[in-house]
Amino acid sequence: MNSIIPQISVGLSIASILLLIALGLAIIYGTMGVINLAHGDFVMLGAYTVWFLQKQFAMNLITTLPFVFAFVGAVGWLAERMLIRHLYQRPLDTILATWGLGVIMQQAVRLLAGAELRYVKMPDFLINPVHFFGYEDSAYRIFIFALAVALLIATYVLIYKTEFGLRMRAITQNRDVSRCFGINAGRVYALTFAYGAGLAGIAGALVSPLKSVAPDMGTGYVVDAFLVVVLGGVHSLLGTVASSYVIGQADAVLASWSDDTIAKAVVFLGVVVLIRLFPQGLFAMRVRRS
Amino acid sequence: MSIDRRKFLKGTATAGVAAAAGFPHIWIKNASLAYAAGGEIKVGVLYSLTGTTAIIETSLNHATIMAIEEINAAGGINGMKVVPVIEDPASDPATFAEKARRLVVGEKCVSVFGSYTSASRKAVLPVFEKYHNLYWYPTLYEGRECSTNVMYTGAVPNQQQKDLIPWLVKNFGKKFYLIGSNYIYPKEENNVCKILLKQLGGEVVGEEYVPLGHSEFSAVINKFKETQPNVIFSTVVGDSVVALHRQYKAAGLDPKKMPMASLTTSEDEVAAMGGEFAAGHFTSAPYFMSYDSPENHKFVEAFKKRWGKDKTTNFVSEPAYFQVHLFKQAVAKLGKGSITPADVRKAAWGQEYKAPEGLVKIDPKNSHTYLWPKIGEWQTSGQAKIIEESKEWVEPLPYWAYPGQVCTPDGMVEKKG
Amino acid sequence: MTSQRQALHRLGGYAAVCVLILLVPLFVSDGYLLNKFARYLVFGILSLALSLSWGYAGILNLGQAAGFGLGSYCMAMALKLRTIPIQTGAGGLPDFMVWNNVHTLPWFWQPFHSYAFALLAGIGVPVLVAFLIGWFVFRARVSGVYVAIITLAMLVVINLVIIDQQRYTGGFNGITDLTTFKVFGVEFGAYSVSTYYLAAVILTLLLFLGLALMNSKTGLILQAIRDDETRVRYFGYDVANYQNFIFCVSAGVAGLAGMLYTLVMEFASPTFLAVPISLSIVIWCAVGGRASLLGAALGAIVVTGVQGSLSDSKTFLDTWMLIMGALFIVVVLFLPNGLISIVDVIRDKRERRRLAAAAGAPRRTAVVAPSRSAAR
Repeated sequence: MNSIIPQISVGLSIASILLLIALGLAIIYGTMGVINLAHGDFVMLGAYTVWFLQKQFAMNLITTLPFVFAFVGAVGWLAERMLIRHLYQRPLDTILATWGLGVIMQQAVRLLAGAELRYVKMPDFLINPVHFFGYEDSAYRIFIFALAVALLIATYVLIYKTEFGLRMRAITQNRDVSRCFGINAGRVYALTFAYGAGLAGIAGALVSPLKSVAPDMGTGYVVDAFLVVVLGGVHSLLGTVASSYVIGQADAVLASWSDDTIAKAVVFLGVVVLIRLFPQGLFAMRVRRS
Repeated sequence: MSIDRRKFLKGTATAGVAAAAGFPHIWIKNASLAYAAGGEIKVGVLYSLTGTTAIIETSLNHATIMAIEEINAAGGINGMKVVPVIEDPASDPATFAEKARRLVVGEKCVSVFGSYTSASRKAVLPVFEKYHNLYWYPTLYEGRECSTNVMYTGAVPNQQQKDLIPWLVKNFGKKFYLIGSNYIYPKEENNVCKILLKQLGGEVVGEEYVPLGHSEFSAVINKFKETQPNVIFSTVVGDSVVALHRQYKAAGLDPKKMPMASLTTSEDEVAAMGGEFAAGHFTSAPYFMSYDSPENHKFVEAFKKRWGKDKTTNFVSEPAYFQVHLFKQAVAKLGKGSITPADVRKAAWGQEYKAPEGLVKIDPKNSHTYLWPKIGEWQTSGQAKIIEESKEWVEPLPYWAYPGQVCTPDGMVEKKG
Repeated sequence: MTSQRQALHRLGGYAAVCVLILLVPLFVSDGYLLNKFARYLVFGILSLALSLSWGYAGILNLGQAAGFGLGSYCMAMALKLRTIPIQTGAGGLPDFMVWNNVHTLPWFWQPFHSYAFALLAGIGVPVLVAFLIGWFVFRARVSGVYVAIITLAMLVVINLVIIDQQRYTGGFNGITDLTTFKVFGVEFGAYSVSTYYLAAVILTLLLFLGLALMNSKTGLILQAIRDDETRVRYFGYDVANYQNFIFCVSAGVAGLAGMLYTLVMEFASPTFLAVPISLSIVIWCAVGGRASLLGAALGAIVVTGVQGSLSDSKTFLDTWMLIMGALFIVVVLFLPNGLISIVDVIRDKRERRRLAAAAGAPRRTAVVAPSRSAAR
C-alpha cells in the first residue's frame, strides 16, 4: 500500500506530460492526416520562448504562457500556409517536409540562442512540495497535471462545442463535401495546425523548468508522443488520454522493477499485437486521398 | 536513336563535370604533403557544433580556438602559425570517423583536438591508429584504455574518486545509492566506487542506470525516498543532470541529509538548472570556474571576453584549453626539424604547464595527465565553493582498480603472475 | 515502341553509371578517398533498398535503418570475436563485456565465431524482424502514414534496447576496435580497393536485380498495389503477402548494406539505427527519385556528398544544417519525383518536339509521362 500511491502519482505525472505533448500531435494528425515530425521542435520553441521572455522581461512562467501559445501558434500557422498546404495531396511527403522544417528550426535556435543548456525558472510558490493525506508530492507536478486537464477540457470544448470544431470535424469526415457546404478548408487547416503547434509550445514551456532546455530537446519528446498516438489512435481525444495514461502508468510500474527502456519496448510490442487483433476497432485509419 | 545516344552521353558528361565541380574537395589529393608544411602547423579541431552533445562540445571548441589564437598572437611556435581546421562532426560517431579521416589524411593535421563522449573517441581511434596520428582528448573518462595514439588530458577514476569517497563516508555516512547514465563511463566509475566502498566498509543500497537524455526521474526519486541513502553518487550526464536536480528538489529531498556527489556536474549544467537546485550538492573534479589562481582568473576573463559575458568555463573546457598549450610546448621542443605525430607524442611526455587548475604534467609512462583533484560544494550563485583540495598533483592511473594491468608507452601490458 | 526504347535507355543509363562507379579505382588510388566513396556507395545501396519498398510498393518504412544497423552489428560481432582485446587483456572476452563485468560469452554471441553464420545473420536477422512486423501490420491492412509511424516506433525501440543492453551490445559506444575482415585470402580493409569493389559490385548487382524484379510479374503487382491497393485486392491477389515480401527484401538489402558499412567504418554504433539516419535514407530516396532505383542510389551519393562538402567548408560551418533542411523542403515541394525526374521532363519535352515536328505543324500533343507514378 505504501508504495502504490506514490507509484500512481508518478504514473499520473508522467502521463500528464505525455498528454500535453501528444495532444497537439494527435489533433493535427487526426484532422489533417499530417504527421508532424517538427512537433518536438515546436515543443522546443515553446521552451525557448519562455527562456527568452524570462531573460528579457523577467516574466513569471505562468504569465508567459499566453505569449508562448500565440508565438508558437503563429509559427505553426506560417508553416502551414507556406509549406504544409502544398502537400495535402501527398500525406507521406508531409513527413519529409516537416522533418526539414524541424532541422531548420533547431539550427536557427542554436545559432540565435546558443548551443548550451538554458535555464528556465520555476514559479517560486511551486518549488516546494505539498503535503496531503500523509504523502508529499511536487507542487509543480500537480500544477502540470492540473493544466494538462484544463487544456484537455479546452480542447474538448473547442472540438465538440464550437462552430469551429464542427467545421473541423466535418472536414475530417469529408473534405470535399464540407467545402460544398461553404467551409473554408484551408482556413480550418491553418488554424488547426496553429492550435496544435501552440499546444506543443505550451507543453514545452511547462516541462522546461522540470527538465532542461536545449536545441534538440524536442527529439526525445516527439518519439514518446508518437508512441502515444500509435497506441491511442487518433479517432478521439479519449484514445489519446487513455494511451497517455497507460504508457505513463506502464512506465512508472515497469521502471520500478526494471528500467524505462524495457517498459517502452514492452509497450511497443503490445501495440503491434493489438493492431493485429483489432485492426478495425482500434486503428482503422483512413488515409486521406484527396 | 543515335542522336539520342549522343545527347545522352553529352548529358552524362555534363552531369559528371557538374558533380566534380560541385564537390571539389573530394578530388583534392594531398596525401604526399608533409606535416607542418609552408610555415604552418595544421591541427584539427573536432568538436560537435550541432546535435546532442553540441551543448558541451561548443565550449570545448571555443576553448581550443582561444588557446590557438593566444599561441598565434604570441608569435606562433618557432615562428610557425598554428592553423586550426575546424570540423563539425554533428554528435554522430560515423561523422566523427569521417571527419577524422579528412583531418588526418586529407588535411595532414599533425594532431587533432577533439571529442567529448567515449563513443566518439572510440569511433575515431581506428583512424588515428591506422595513420599513426595523435588525438588529444580533454574529457574525464573511465580509464582502462591505453592507446598509443591518444593524449589523455582529462581525469581518470582514481583522480576523481580516491579522495572523494573517503571524504563522503566520513562526512555523511556509508549508505550509497549509485545513479548513472547508461553507458560505459558510469559503469566503470561505479566499479571503482564499489571497490573503494568495500575497503571503507560502505554499502550500496541501489544501483541504477537511466538512458542517455532521460529526463523523467520521478520513479528514481521514489527509490531514493524508499532506500534513504546517505549519499547519492551520481554519474548522470548532460541534460539529464538538470532534470535530476530539479525533480530532486521539487520532490522535497534535502541535500543536507542526502547530498548528490557527482563526477559529471559542471558549471554548465548548474547554470542550466539554476543555482538553487544545485546548492548543497557536491562535485569532484580537478577544475572549477571559481578556483582562485592567477592563471584561472586570466583564463576565465579571456574566455568571457572572447566568447561572451554569460559563458562559463568548466572541467572539460579547461583541459581543452591547456592541452593546446602542452601541444605547443611539445612542438616548440622539436624545433624546426621533422614534426610528425609520433615526434609530438614523445616530445609531449613530461611537459609541464601552469594551467588554470595548477601545474599539470603529461605522464611519460602512460600519456595521461597529472591533475589537481578538488571537491566543490555548489552555491546558489551557480558557482562551487572549493572545500577540499589535493595537496599535491595526483598521478593518473588508468588501470588503478586492476592491479594485474598497467598502461605503458607501448600500450597496456599484463603483469605476469 | 516508345516504352521499349525507354526501357533500353534506362538500361543504358544504369549500365553507364555502374561502369563509372567500377572505373573509379583506376583514377583514385588514395585509400582515404576510396573509403569515402565506398561509404557513399553503401548509402546508395541503403537508399536503393528503401526505393524498393517505398517507390515501387508504396510502403514508407521510416525504420529502414533498423535492418541496416542489425546487419552492421552482425558483421561487427563476428569481427569482434576475432579481435584481441588489447585494452582489457588478451585472451579475454570482448573488451566492452569485461568493462561491464560479463564473465562468459552470451549464447547468442557463440555462433558468430563463424563468418558464414554472421553473413547469413546479417541478412537473415533484418528479414526476420521485418517479417514479424510486416505480418502483423500488413495482415491488419494497415497502410500509408500509419505504417510509417509504426516502423519509426519499431526503430526507436530496437535502438533503445541495443543501447540499454550494453552488457551484450556495447551500448551507446557500439562495438569498436575490430579486426579486418578476411575471406579467401582477400583482406577487406576500410581503405582498400577490395572493399570499394565489393561495395561497387554489390550496388551494380542490386541495381540490375532490382530492375529485373520490378519488371517481373511480382514487381508489376507491387506497383499496382502502390497505385491502388483495393483494386489489386479485388483481382484476387493476396496484397499483404506481396507487401510483406518486398518489405522483407528491402530489409535484407539494408542488412547487406549494414554489413558493408561496418567494413567501411570499422565499427558498429547504435547511431547506425537511430532516427536521424533513418530519415536521411528517406531524404536521399526522395531527392534522387523514389521510384527509380538508380535515382535513389544517386540521391544518396549526391546528398551525402553535398552535406560533406558543406560541413567541411569554413563558410557553412554554422549554417550547413539550415541549408540542408531548406534544400530538402525545396525538393519535396518542387520536385516530388526527385532529381531523376528531370531526365523524364527533358525527355518528354524532346519527345513532344519530335512528334510535333513529325506531324509537320506545331500541335499540342498529349504525351503522357511514363508511369513513374505520382508521389503519394
